[in-house]
Amino acid sequence: MRSEEEHLRQITRRHFYSQCGVGLGKIALASLLGGDLVALASAATATPPNPLLPKPAPFAPKAKRVIYLFMAGAPSQLDLFDFKPALVKHDGQPIPADIVRDQRYAFIRRDAKLLAPRFKFARHGQCGAELSEMLPGLASVADEVAIIRAMHTDQFNHAPGQLFMNTGSSLPGRPCLGSWVSYGIGSESEQLPAFVVLPSGSNSAGVANWSSGFLPTTFAGVPLRSKGDPILNVSSPPGVDNATQRQTIDLISRLNTRRLEIVSDPEIATRIGAYEMAYRLQSSAPELMNIGNESKETLELYGAEPGKASFANNCLLARRLVERGVRFVNIYHEAWDHHSDVEGGLRTQCGLTDKPCAALIKDLRQRGLLDDTLVVWGGEFGRTPMVESNASLGRKLGRDHHPQAFTMWLAGGGVKGGVSLGQTDELGFHTAQDPVHVHDLQATILHLLGIDHKRLTYKFQGRDFRLTDVSGNVVSQLL
Amino acid sequence: MRPSLRPLIGCFTFACLAIRGLALPVLAAEPVGETIDYNRDIRPILSNNCYQCHGPDDKERHAGLRFDLADAAIRPADSGKAAIVPGQPEKSELVRRILSTDETERMPPPDSNKKLNDEQKRLLERWVAAGAAMPTHWSLVAPVRPELPVVVDHSWARNEIDLFIQQRLEREGLTPSPEADRLTLVRRVYLDLIGLPPTPQEADDFAADPRPEAYAELVNRLLDSPHYGERWARRWLDLARYSDTNGYEKDRARSVWPYRDWVIRALNADMPFDRFTIEQLAGDLVDDANVDSRTATGFHRNTMLNEEGGIDVEEFRFYSIVDRTNTTGAVWLGLTIGCAQCHNHKFDPITQREYYQLFAFLNNADEPQLAIPRPEISVKHAAIVTQIDALVDARRAQLDEEKFTRWARQSGKTAQSWTSVRPSALKSSNHATLTVLTDNSVLASGDLPNQDTYTVDLIVDLPRVTAIRLEVLPDESLPEGGPGRAPLYSEGDFMLGEFSASTICAGETATPLPLTNATHSYAAEKTSAAATIDDDLDTGWSIKGRAGEAHQAVFPLAKPLEAAQRTRLRVTLDHRFIHNMIIGRFRLSLSDAATPVASPLPAEVEAILTVEPTQRTAEQQATLKDHYLTIAPELAEQNKQIAELRKTLPKQPTTLVLAERDAAHARTTHRAHRGEFLSPREPVEPGVPQVLPGLPGVANSNRLALARWLVSPQNPLVARVTMNRHWQHLFGRGLVRTSEDFGLRGEPPSHPELLDYLATEFVARGWSLKQMHRLMVTSATYRQASLVRTPLGERDPQNVLLARGPRFRIEAETVRDVALSASGLLSSTVGGPSVFPPQPAGVNDLAWGSAAWPTSQGPDRFRRGLYTYLKRTSPYAAFTTFDAPSGENCAVRRERSNTPLQALTLLNDTVFVEAAQALARRVVQSDSSDPTGRVRQIFRWCLTRNPGDDEVRDLTQFYEDRRTQCQQNPVDAKAIAGEGADPERLTELAAWTLVGRTILNLDEFVTKE
Repeated sequence: MRSEEEHLRQITRRHFYSQCGVGLGKIALASLLGGDLVALASAATATPPNPLLPKPAPFAPKAKRVIYLFMAGAPSQLDLFDFKPALVKHDGQPIPADIVRDQRYAFIRRDAKLLAPRFKFARHGQCGAELSEMLPGLASVADEVAIIRAMHTDQFNHAPGQLFMNTGSSLPGRPCLGSWVSYGIGSESEQLPAFVVLPSGSNSAGVANWSSGFLPTTFAGVPLRSKGDPILNVSSPPGVDNATQRQTIDLISRLNTRRLEIVSDPEIATRIGAYEMAYRLQSSAPELMNIGNESKETLELYGAEPGKASFANNCLLARRLVERGVRFVNIYHEAWDHHSDVEGGLRTQCGLTDKPCAALIKDLRQRGLLDDTLVVWGGEFGRTPMVESNASLGRKLGRDHHPQAFTMWLAGGGVKGGVSLGQTDELGFHTAQDPVHVHDLQATILHLLGIDHKRLTYKFQGRDFRLTDVSGNVVSQLL
Repeated sequence: MRPSLRPLIGCFTFACLAIRGLALPVLAAEPVGETIDYNRDIRPILSNNCYQCHGPDDKERHAGLRFDLADAAIRPADSGKAAIVPGQPEKSELVRRILSTDETERMPPPDSNKKLNDEQKRLLERWVAAGAAMPTHWSLVAPVRPELPVVVDHSWARNEIDLFIQQRLEREGLTPSPEADRLTLVRRVYLDLIGLPPTPQEADDFAADPRPEAYAELVNRLLDSPHYGERWARRWLDLARYSDTNGYEKDRARSVWPYRDWVIRALNADMPFDRFTIEQLAGDLVDDANVDSRTATGFHRNTMLNEEGGIDVEEFRFYSIVDRTNTTGAVWLGLTIGCAQCHNHKFDPITQREYYQLFAFLNNADEPQLAIPRPEISVKHAAIVTQIDALVDARRAQLDEEKFTRWARQSGKTAQSWTSVRPSALKSSNHATLTVLTDNSVLASGDLPNQDTYTVDLIVDLPRVTAIRLEVLPDESLPEGGPGRAPLYSEGDFMLGEFSASTICAGETATPLPLTNATHSYAAEKTSAAATIDDDLDTGWSIKGRAGEAHQAVFPLAKPLEAAQRTRLRVTLDHRFIHNMIIGRFRLSLSDAATPVASPLPAEVEAILTVEPTQRTAEQQATLKDHYLTIAPELAEQNKQIAELRKTLPKQPTTLVLAERDAAHARTTHRAHRGEFLSPREPVEPGVPQVLPGLPGVANSNRLALARWLVSPQNPLVARVTMNRHWQHLFGRGLVRTSEDFGLRGEPPSHPELLDYLATEFVARGWSLKQMHRLMVTSATYRQASLVRTPLGERDPQNVLLARGPRFRIEAETVRDVALSASGLLSSTVGGPSVFPPQPAGVNDLAWGSAAWPTSQGPDRFRRGLYTYLKRTSPYAAFTTFDAPSGENCAVRRERSNTPLQALTLLNDTVFVEAAQALARRVVQSDSSDPTGRVRQIFRWCLTRNPGDDEVRDLTQFYEDRRTQCQQNPVDAKAIAGEGADPERLTELAAWTLVGRTILNLDEFVTKE
């Protein structure tokens, strides 16, 4: 058996649109399913495992890749998904104290007044999903989507909430979902990183949101930026044309090869390979980013405009990335923190995001990619049924952070379309039926990728860490 | 006491096991020795498979059985049967159950996902048969200086280290590698000790020096270099999770670089490691505490600070103490004590209660900033003060007596008489420290919550009260001089949500005193004193824009309080805003004035004005005049000049420090159920884990006691853990590979005697790191060639046995430092505020607020990597790519990845492009004029060694080709050669830039050979 270090060296070598690409995925997956990653990782003190150990039958992954649309800032579920007639009825009345109990809030008081939903709702699709008028795009694909109406989390501030959703812990330092996935099942791309991040603007937890934490840096998300070089330093320096770059890398490789013959350290071979991949990335990145070669219909479907930085462009890019074998694409759209004027805020943000989200689902469907591509949509928590109207902060008709109940949706990748799972209470304050905790969602996403969340572990500082910490149950109703 | 719990023979058989773990067929073929060593053979089986239910965690313990303690393991369990009967496997339940074929009986149970293999079962059985001895885990027994090994070949060893290494190699039938050639060795030791490459001249001087002492002298020179401290500081800063920002969403800048500079100085001065420890953990508590030792306490101020608007500040303070506790465990004890935050440690003998006892040591400090007086700033400050004083004196001479008298008469008419009252009781709802000063004002310090309610009791000594006055006062301890405590956005401001008063009768019954018609001397837009008595906590009074001044609000009682003598009045000041907008210093006064209103005058001026003019003392008169001078319309020009000068007063740099709270405000630490901040349980006293030696004496149980305990001679871990980490830095991996975990789940040392030798030697040499570095780098082990020989490569790919020298990629900052040094760009300045070297545009755009990156110009563009501004949510991109930590957690080990993104950085990043351009400029000015000579020159600047003929040929050809190409493309040539290239020599410079860039991208360039 191999030691942890050796295992990682192998992964490190081979990772990232690597020579072995698919191969790595198979290696890690095989050890996940057939063997015992814990034992694998427990280094030199362990004795070899018994080869006759019974192995659990690997369950086939439904999803091969993930596009995670992170709605940072936390959209209001009460104005988009979770229609509550009682809020209309009790609009302007203080929320009963026995409901709020000792919940801590970021800005409002515990006796804040209730706020009616700002929009009309209607039922859509054969499934009859109830959605706000702000989501006509999503309504048009309602039967593809599974809506989780009783999500809940432990965190009520942005940075800790985003980290919790991404890494299962509210403090920085743990690997995020995309890193765990690329560690677990590797990459299928020869050209591109396994885990790509499409940020639209800034986000609260910064790079910790796509950090590999204690996993090697190789598993970190690679941001693909819409301004400047899409990937840092992917362009050659001024004046260095493609031929010069090629000849430079050729010479570097020749000189490195000569050293390899003398020194015999396999690290040199790895570096030679890394330069080749870097060159390939330099050539493939501009092609990838050039959405101008998409058809007019496709551009219109998303509302994408070549050369512009937008959520629509990022959705289209996400499709291009998964087409090229990228395992995990994380789009950030940080614009939902509507402490004031939740109505106006949602109008603007839904205007920017609803159509591209629906387009992504339709486009993946028509290209035959939706069945094995999981799309996830959601923020780090929800927003309060109570109004936020702090005059000294200049706020009115907004909603505060709300961790007890919020909505997310999934589509594709083995998820049952047209499902509406869970309910909240009359005021939309607490979950009332089929609650789904963040760790449950994470366990479910990993499950769809064919990974048992309890067995995808990494030993760090004496403990076998996993994404779901010590909890998490796969939500079978979604499958 | 037993001499040694690890007999020599054990070490060799252990080695076989360890190596077998690495799947090395040749070594693994050796049989396990006859003797069973509990810590080597048995404990790992028990801790990995059994402790989860039968270990230290009493919450998870099943059947009343635990295997982690020798006496408990042989006691009968709940069933009455003993799991282990020493010497009698047939009577031992453990043996029966692990061998059982009955699924319902077999241990570990099938649903545990754990399973013993046949060899493990046999080992356990044999161990019980042999008497089931359970000596203490190796790392918890104090190291004893081992006897020096006897080796067969006496020609190789240079010092004691080599004997340990060689003995093992001889046992394995391996021979050490020959010494590295002189140029490889000089580059290696430069990179290791100062983190910079030698110049070709320095390298050649050493290579040409045949004297036996030449190497030792070289090492001494490097140990004395000011760059030694920079090199080793960066490694310590990984542990200290140093950063220039606060972390989390807002991630604002902080000033703690004086701590970084303290580390550099301490290492350069070879401060003994015990002192180094004590100052960083408790430099505020040592007898001779001074600015330096207080600066050292920045170590634990490097924890993150959440400044998001809506947070519970105390919750994130709790997390920071968790971080401090865990970091202390990792850095000094090499234990994963963080595992015990939520429950008893599953594997190591540390209970959750003990975790919070360690936590308690660290939980009793306030977190102020400390000004670091810099002489040049003091001088500048004094010069401006002199100017101001001169203007003030001149202004005094310009007093217009007539206008002054008129003003005083006019103001006297409205002046009201106030009596300040000394609070008889004071309370902060959120643990701030409230202190009454001699002028009856109250100063807040210590904890800085987001929200706080002050409750102030006053004993009234007046017959009649018509109003309460709240003065908010400046104080130099507050941000921007106060009067508020807000540290950000609106520094020195506050937001008072509600102000209320009541009378308290016997039995603590409060009768509200309605307030009305509140007035203020100044209020920020949209705020007012009136808004503090409107029953709306969201509205209130703030003084934004006028920090550093005194302000007041006056609250008339709706109904005067008659016969008020000996009445107890209770005033509450309710702050419910965000961003710590709390009043920092205030004073309450009472009045019986008929129509009380807030005065624009300072309280002492108003008080004097109530005195009959003829009755005023000379001093009072002078105070009035001085005040008048500051507001006199006819002196507006002078006052403006003075105000502007004041704005130019330079501030001393500050750093973040710890300051122990006094006994009256000591914090109580509670065990947090499941590690949750919201679930405090029973209180705990500071204390150390039972498994380790106790605290010496009856000293105070404070941070100083903890620090002294860590570096006390009895502590079995600190010297080992420290030496192991330094070994790791020089040799690429620790003798204990898991350098952060010396506990039961950590890996055992590859060379246990060597580790103990180094640990005892370290203490014997007065905890001198420089001496230990000298010992390590002058060993024959270190000086070996690093070429991977066959079949060594297959037998020991990780170089655990050290039959060759270390060879691995240099660290992120060093990659950059070496490029700048080789190209002659590097600034040699040591210390100072952090700098902003170029990085690709927009890196910061991904973090909250998209903070600007004010790219440094001049020499600051080319400072060493450890001076680069480190922003936690958006770390310097090139460093992240090369595995530098983000400063969010203590990093004991860095990964060493090898990725395409690193290739892109070296090929295309501005820093390396500029280095290549500088190499070109440098080489065309050098002595060599022919292309091959220039190739050699660049090669040696970057790689030290002489290039081979084929390397020269290839690079020269590349140069010629590029020059031809550049001649055809002058535009490209200009771009490649960069700013400031001599227009006459563009072609040449561009071609040399491309050659330099090639060499900067060689594997060898980023590798310590």
